[in-house]
Amino acid sequence: MARIGVFICHCGENISATVDCGKVAETIGKLKHVAYSTEYKYMCSDPGQTLIKDAIKEHKLTGVVVSACSPRMHEPTFRKACAEAGLNPFLCEMANLREHCSWVHEKNELTTQKAIDIVRTQVEKVKLNSALQPIKVPVTKTAMVIGGGIAGIQAALDIANTGHKVVMIERSPSIGGHMSQLSETFPTLDCSQCILTPRMVEVAQHPNITLYTYAEVESVEGFIGNFKVKIRKKAKSLDEKICTGCGLCTTKCPQKKIPNEFEQGMGMRPAIYVPFPQAVPNRPVIDKEHCTYYIKGKCKICEVVCPTKAIRFDQPDEILDLEIGAIVVATGFDIKHADFFPEYGYGKYKDIIDGLQFERMASASGPTSGEIRRPSDGQVPKNIVFIACAGSRDPAKGIAYCSKICCMYTAKHAMLYKHKVHEGRAHVFYMDIRSGGKNYDEFVRRAIEEDHVNYIRGRVSTVFERDGKLIVKGVDTLLGAQPVEIVADMVVLATAGVANAGAEDLAQKLHVSYDQHKFFAEAHPKLKPVETNTAGIFLAGACQNPKDIPDAVSQASGSAVKVAALFSQDMLTREPLVAVVNRYAPPMYSTCVGCFLCQSVCPYQAIEREEFKNREGKVVKTVAKINEGLCQGCGTCVALCRSKSIDLLGYSNNQVHAEVMALLNEY
Amino acid sequence: MTSLIIRAKELLENKTVQVVIGYEAGPTGVARPAFITDPAKAESLIYDERCVQNLAVYLTKREVKNIGKMAIVATLPVMRSIMMLISEQQLFADNIVVLGISADGKLLDIADNKVMQGYIEKSDLSNPEKYKGLLTEFNKLSPEEKFLYWQKELSKCIKCYACRQACPMCYCTRCTVEVNQPQWIPVKANTHGNMEWHILRAMHLAGRCISCGECGRACPVGIPCHLLTMHLTDQVYNYFKVYAGTSEKMSSVLSTYEPNDKESFII
Repeated sequence: MARIGVFICHCGENISATVDCGKVAETIGKLKHVAYSTEYKYMCSDPGQTLIKDAIKEHKLTGVVVSACSPRMHEPTFRKACAEAGLNPFLCEMANLREHCSWVHEKNELTTQKAIDIVRTQVEKVKLNSALQPIKVPVTKTAMVIGGGIAGIQAALDIANTGHKVVMIERSPSIGGHMSQLSETFPTLDCSQCILTPRMVEVAQHPNITLYTYAEVESVEGFIGNFKVKIRKKAKSLDEKICTGCGLCTTKCPQKKIPNEFEQGMGMRPAIYVPFPQAVPNRPVIDKEHCTYYIKGKCKICEVVCPTKAIRFDQPDEILDLEIGAIVVATGFDIKHADFFPEYGYGKYKDIIDGLQFERMASASGPTSGEIRRPSDGQVPKNIVFIACAGSRDPAKGIAYCSKICCMYTAKHAMLYKHKVHEGRAHVFYMDIRSGGKNYDEFVRRAIEEDHVNYIRGRVSTVFERDGKLIVKGVDTLLGAQPVEIVADMVVLATAGVANAGAEDLAQKLHVSYDQHKFFAEAHPKLKPVETNTAGIFLAGACQNPKDIPDAVSQASGSAVKVAALFSQDMLTREPLVAVVNRYAPPMYSTCVGCFLCQSVCPYQAIEREEFKNREGKVVKTVAKINEGLCQGCGTCVALCRSKSIDLLGYSNNQVHAEVMALLNEY
Repeated sequence: MTSLIIRAKELLENKTVQVVIGYEAGPTGVARPAFITDPAKAESLIYDERCVQNLAVYLTKREVKNIGKMAIVATLPVMRSIMMLISEQQLFADNIVVLGISADGKLLDIADNKVMQGYIEKSDLSNPEKYKGLLTEFNKLSPEEKFLYWQKELSKCIKCYACRQACPMCYCTRCTVEVNQPQWIPVKANTHGNMEWHILRAMHLAGRCISCGECGRACPVGIPCHLLTMHLTDQVYNYFKVYAGTSEKMSSVLSTYEPNDKESFII
């Protein structure tokens, strides 16, 4: 006979402020099969847990209901306490009186009644609980890092340095990401390439890192410790083992007028190209979309000039199957381009550029060799306007968030301009200056005070062209919203940071959640900032939200530690809350008819086929079987099974039915 | 249908199949299903306007399957049922010979499933003409009127489950309603419980119904329960542009996800 113990927690005042805990404990205590019912201020505290442990022993309890907060917080605490008292931990259930009742209702009779009802359902459920044993599954100790920007590089190096294998996937021909495009970095003004390239080289040379560039994730299956990943290695049209990276092909390619992505469209590149001089790996790829041979069927000049005969026009895409234990997503971000802004001419004025274009312009390896020159006529601008918050913090444009990095890089841009064009005048339109961070505000002050950048607090309503000059119309809100008109030679928009184009698609492949702006979502905004809701998949860098380099690097190291912690175990202990397909004696074997619709809905590929044979060895029935190592207990198959042949341990049909009936029936 | 009789006889004589599932005339002249295992008895096979039952329902019955390889007289709904049964792994393509019957009652030459698929693809797969008017009328009703209509109709149900037995897609050896641990659907025939049964039946057939109308025809108290599944057929086609039973590799439209699926039904 069941002997259930019920423990009502006040959660300080979180529950007891609106729920009469004493009455709940008293009412529940009168229920059939409830052997013990009590209340306490903090059940999760040490004395609270002792209370439960003592009651289990004293009252010979066969089941425990802790009525407190969400099981997400404290279910492990209470299950462990039960286990310490000799009760199987899966005979302990939680009734959520806080999130489901006290926090959402006012203090009155009905609230207490609802609390009683919630506890009653769990009492009925726990009577039908069975003692379950944890499941152990092995861990594949190889991590995959998606994205080879600074966050991905940092995560990969940190994981590799703990002695574990890392596979890095980068979709462009070289790693380096946005950081490789930057000129100098705030707040120290050191050269971005100079601090980045050693890390890039380290990735390429690290014995524990396998680097796949020009590759994308095709599909991800499986679960924490045991992901099965398919990678599409796009054809580079080149045998990388033979190619020496001499670059002769890139100089002889007749296609020379392709807008260079690395230079943000401000320079040109050939069809066979290395994205930038410090690229890792330093091997060219053929851009099939623009290559004369792939378009017209003849040319092959690169093949002719190649001294090692490394060109392979018929190279197919390669699909790699990888076994992966943990995934770090570091796919980075993108920025809105000038054509997003109708008020600034939809990108039709050549001298309105975005922040990333300015970075290239200011970079010594950029299209102007580091000189600030107008894209339209190559003149050095005498008057330059920087517009911060272009798109960001603008709900009307659908981007309500702050892009975080723009205040700092705008100050840096203005400073770089002043350092290069001493007689020039730099103006910055801003909403607020957000310069929280070590040495950040000092950096902005330096721009204003030492480099005499003219900061104007106010927004720009419109920019238009008149006589080859850009007329910037805005207001100065510190002078009583006085209209300001600046005749500028060049305008730089600090455009909003947005999610990468393929972010949504990748999130769906990985089964991780993402927010309305398609940035990947962390599991908890404060306490789980690098985890996703999918166990074993972590986030690093600006794929979560726009971040500067120090933040991206810190987060990358954070996720690397999470991966290392996971890989420190040989076996993972999993909750035994898995689905099972019923089995009966022959000739029934199971009520499963083998339609295998469950197989198509299972997100974890956990459903296998089991054949029953007669004495002659003939298959008489084929039914579904669930691999408990793969099953995550989501219950989708249970809901789908038309003959109700599948049940979920810990949440069986009988248990759920008992809960529902408890609510419907008088007590 | 001499051509049908000759073909059936031939299949049985050369032992290509062990049983031919078709129609024969019963003692009162009503067409009834026939399971011919003796070539000499192939003469009794008929095919005319009396032959309306969807014979595919027998393909999953153990008693029939155990005879051996089967041939079946198959109109379009039967062919579509066969496709669905193969895709849901209830039937093996090499265990069946299809004696296809065209819309005008002629024997078709269905050499294999590819040919059958071609024939199905060329055919009109929307709900049968005779039900379309009713469905259109029904769609004009307000939700309240619909509810009242079904409440009235389903109050008549005696839970004989003839609708289930007549349906080729209801092949489970144990139906949900027979589960009594726990008893989700009440056994008693009362309006509320009847509605639960019919809603459940319709949902189990959503995206799988091949619009043969057998459930409604089988109902002894005249409930037009086929309208429920046919309405869902229309809905599935509107949302996903898919008709059930068009290939042997169909994936269940309501339990698979494609990134370009319409999500307009999410409120």
